[in-house]
Amino acid sequence: MLVAVLVPTYDEGDAPAQVLGELRALAPALGGLVVYLVDDGGAAAVPLARMPAATPEFDVVLARHPVNLGQGAALETARRLALADARHTVFVTMDSDRQHRVEDLPALVAAVRGGADVVLGDRFAGHSRVPPLRRAVLFGARLFEFLLTRLWLSDAHNGYRAFSRRALERIRITQDRMAHATEIRQLVARHRRELRIVEVPVTVHYSRELLAKGQSSLGAIHVLRDLAFRFLFGSR
Amino acid sequence: MSIASWFVLAVLALTLLVDYAKFRRHARRVIVVELVVFTVAGCLAAFPDLATRLAAAVGIGRGVDFVLYLAIIWLVRESILARLTRWEDAERFTEVVRGLAMGSVRRRSELP
Repeated sequence: MLVAVLVPTYDEGDAPAQVLGELRALAPALGGLVVYLVDDGGAAAVPLARMPAATPEFDVVLARHPVNLGQGAALETARRLALADARHTVFVTMDSDRQHRVEDLPALVAAVRGGADVVLGDRFAGHSRVPPLRRAVLFGARLFEFLLTRLWLSDAHNGYRAFSRRALERIRITQDRMAHATEIRQLVARHRRELRIVEVPVTVHYSRELLAKGQSSLGAIHVLRDLAFRFLFGSR
Repeated sequence: MSIASWFVLAVLALTLLVDYAKFRRHARRVIVVELVVFTVAGCLAAFPDLATRLAAAVGIGRGVDFVLYLAIIWLVRESILARLTRWEDAERFTEVVRGLAMGSVRRRSELP
């Protein structure tokens, strides 16, 4: 009944160690937790020795891409590593930059343990203070994804999600960069008859530093480009 | 021949010279293909009536349109094929990098 937490990271400084420290504190209550931390070729390699020490309920598995590929690629690496361990029944994806609150994780895990296959974090139902421009872009993304998938969801591109094993096995990410979020929605929509999908309120933390470092609103253009290429050249 | 024809011929010759210097060691076939394509293009530039006669024969009004249609079709196709090749290479590259990463996984529990 171990929980696997999939965390891609790229030059986040001390933030991953802090997030992992909070996850370790939570691990006994969740019945055990393994973090799959994938360093996506950051300039400074994530020092494993500086991560929180392992306990019987907590461990960290670290993989490092020799070069930067993108968040989608890092998440796919984490997905494959986590699925290889048959003890995992719940899989959570979250960011390493402290944008996602560890306190929200038990609700995501509980939803999967309660029978859901796909649990999507909804920042608008939580206490997030979403900047107006980001809110507008996300609304556009929701509309776009609805046209693409016929699945109307409250939040788009929220990286805080949880999956059952049978759901994650169906979600093979091929988009290396930010279009992976839309790709995940597409794959979830494709399997909607087999999977139970629920949304859970989460709080996304926005600070000036995180907004400056994170995906710009113009990134939507790159997402559209990558989706168009996948549509043209993808084999599935 | 008009001044424009001489200009086009000069550009073709110069491009061929530059590409010869660039590709002669590792991609001589590119030079051969360019030579053939540029010879045809040079003939059409030097003798515009030839293109017009060819165009009229297939029912297109102007010679330049005849050349342009084919050139655009070819360029669009080349652009798509080049993008596809880049896409496939990127996918292979991702798998190689991922393979390296997954082959060197470390666990915190293995450290003191």
